[in-house]
Amino acid sequence: MNRYLPRSARTCLALATILALTGAVTACGPGGGGDSSSGDNLTMWTFKQSHVAALQKAAESFKQKTGVGVTVEAITPDDAFIARVQAAAQTRSLPDIFEVHTNGDDFTFGAAGLLEDLTEEATWTDRYLPSVAAEGTVTERYYKQSQEKGAKSAGIKLNQRFSVPLTIGTFGIVYANKERLTAAGVTESPKTWEDFVAALEAVRRARPQDGGLSIGFQAPTTGMEWLMQPMAYGKLGKAGFAGLFSNDPARNWTSANGRSVLESYHQVTPYWMPGTQTLTIDDADLAFAQGRSSFVVGGTFTLAFLSQNGMNPENIVTFPVPSPRGGTVPELSLAPFALTGLSVSATTKNKDGAVKWLEHLAQTDVASQFAKDALDVPPVNLGDDPTGTLGPVLGAMIGSFGSGVEAYNPGDTTHQPPSYDAAVVARSLMELTPLKKADVPTAAAGLQKIIDGYWAGK
Amino acid sequence: MTTDVPTSPGAVTVSRGRTGRGRGRRRYQPREVAWAYAFVAPAIVLFAVMGVYTLFWGLQLSFVQWNGLTPTWLWVGLRNYTDLLWASPVFSPPVRAAALNTVWVMIAAPLLTVVISFPLALALNRARRFVGLLRSVYFVPYITTGIAVYLAWQYVLEPNGAINTLLGALGLGSLSQPQGWLGNPDTALPTLIVIMVWSAVPVATLLYLTGLQTIDPALTEAAQIDGASWWRVNLSVVWPLLRGITAVIVLLNLRDALQGFQIFLIMTDGGPGDHTNVLGLQTYRLAFQSELAPTLGLASALGWMLFVAAVLVAFVHLRVTRERR
Repeated sequence: MNRYLPRSARTCLALATILALTGAVTACGPGGGGDSSSGDNLTMWTFKQSHVAALQKAAESFKQKTGVGVTVEAITPDDAFIARVQAAAQTRSLPDIFEVHTNGDDFTFGAAGLLEDLTEEATWTDRYLPSVAAEGTVTERYYKQSQEKGAKSAGIKLNQRFSVPLTIGTFGIVYANKERLTAAGVTESPKTWEDFVAALEAVRRARPQDGGLSIGFQAPTTGMEWLMQPMAYGKLGKAGFAGLFSNDPARNWTSANGRSVLESYHQVTPYWMPGTQTLTIDDADLAFAQGRSSFVVGGTFTLAFLSQNGMNPENIVTFPVPSPRGGTVPELSLAPFALTGLSVSATTKNKDGAVKWLEHLAQTDVASQFAKDALDVPPVNLGDDPTGTLGPVLGAMIGSFGSGVEAYNPGDTTHQPPSYDAAVVARSLMELTPLKKADVPTAAAGLQKIIDGYWAGK
Repeated sequence: MTTDVPTSPGAVTVSRGRTGRGRGRRRYQPREVAWAYAFVAPAIVLFAVMGVYTLFWGLQLSFVQWNGLTPTWLWVGLRNYTDLLWASPVFSPPVRAAALNTVWVMIAAPLLTVVISFPLALALNRARRFVGLLRSVYFVPYITTGIAVYLAWQYVLEPNGAINTLLGALGLGSLSQPQGWLGNPDTALPTLIVIMVWSAVPVATLLYLTGLQTIDPALTEAAQIDGASWWRVNLSVVWPLLRGITAVIVLLNLRDALQGFQIFLIMTDGGPGDHTNVLGLQTYRLAFQSELAPTLGLASALGWMLFVAAVLVAFVHLRVTRERR
């Protein structure tokens, strides 16, 4: 067809084609996604939508102070965030700063060379609560874990710091509807697992339609990590709990200890809210907020969601998942750990500005404001009376944190085999409860088979 | 017009078609050939980048252990394939369970689609009043299928949803599912298959309707004159004539059943537990839901096995239908 076009038109057409092609190829290349930043504007990616507005507010004061702007972008859900980082890593179009899962994503990203080591730069960590100040640092136990075959963090070095904390908290907190509890004759928070089961029974008897316990089993780890594991820790203590995840038949799930934990966990089976196995975490929380269930298990972060969805905080009773009677840790408490942290990209053109942004967020007034805006618990030490700074809800939550060997720390994963995928293990556990497709010995054997596979490095 | 493969640049010969001005071959000038290449180049480059390179890269990925982040990957040869098929106690059991679920979907979805859409097309073809309205109504599931509809189905299927309520109102409460239709491991997969069929029937019906309208009425009239009943005419005359369309419908649904996972991801995410996991979803999980474990190679290997399975299924299906013809 080109033979019928005038020469000038042909030339223009060919030029346009080449330009279009060049544009397309350029768009596929590094920086084409508009993620690169200039020195006076930083880009930050987060997987928490609820943090965006709070971070943007903090960015305003940061710009006034330093002249450096911060553009915050939320990429949700977590799967999409990870896929975006994977793609950006290949095209070298990473942002300047990431919000990461502490002691998880940060170590994996760091091992891949995507993050700056902040050991020298993070000079403000004394502002954090002592129990979480070192989170994001490769300690001896995480380094040892990274040496195992198939470890996700293979390549990290001892004492490297890949993130500083942004939010802290814990999970394993039971939220109960106060009015319904009282109406069913339960006037005190359950102190033991047996009391908890009795409370479930009392409320279910009083309210057969909506007296159940909801949990977002579509994310199967919720049942295992938020409810069963704290109870197991209380029942067996730290060493016994770690043994459950070993390949030692005398201590693992197929042992007497393992079966005993599963039997206790199985006691809640009659009390699940109908259909809880199909719910997402948000759906389960909504069911509680809307009165379709009377109990929900969550974390420190759950209260904000319930409040945002119309649940009156004064009508909520919270208590940590309790230890069974006669358990090794009778007064079980929950240790806080860094839920999310901040990391600086290795490809940033303004490392100094990025580090200053991290330090800005760790200032007491900025962290407090961020916490109030995001309804999340900050890692900064707010003194003996956090309630005065953060208000009663967040303040009370900070006051309930425990420490030491009596406190279960969900963030401590050193007992897990390398490449451990909690979702796979938790799906197997669902066969016992709530699905009732396996009895205790079958469920124990199923769990152990998967865990043995991880230990074998497959 | 047919174009011969050039033996060397600048020596392209074109044989003109019968409608051309002449039957002789004409040699193009090098400059004209260069122009031709210039115009074809964008398509070739795009295909090379998006097609060939991606395929090659994906194949290579199936032989390595990698999490998508590290600058290097670990070459493991065929281990990803053996781990998925039998060797790994971690990865092979879910793949086997997902394969079994996929097989059920591959059998049930195309079969039910054909069983429902063919009679529906016959009925719509006979309709004399409100033809446009009826055809539009039956096509609604196709144009509304998507995330919103899957979420709507979730509400309908939950413990207090419309189906359980309806069953209760009809005095059939014993058939209702207290845990919801997607919460009971025994009903979750069949329920998803029904929704897949609900989504597939409109296109299948449309294809059958198109086929029915191409059948010469003389054929069916002749059969009727010979005394064949309505059923006999449709089963012995119409059905064989539409075998080609049935093959296309079955093939499309087999492909969806083998590789599609949108409905499983949105409605159950493979749950409850792992009871509605299918191979497409398992591939997605290995690639994007393994918390940065180095399983991208496993995902790629599973993707390639699915590709081979799809090619085999299509080949066998086409051979079978061709032999019948």
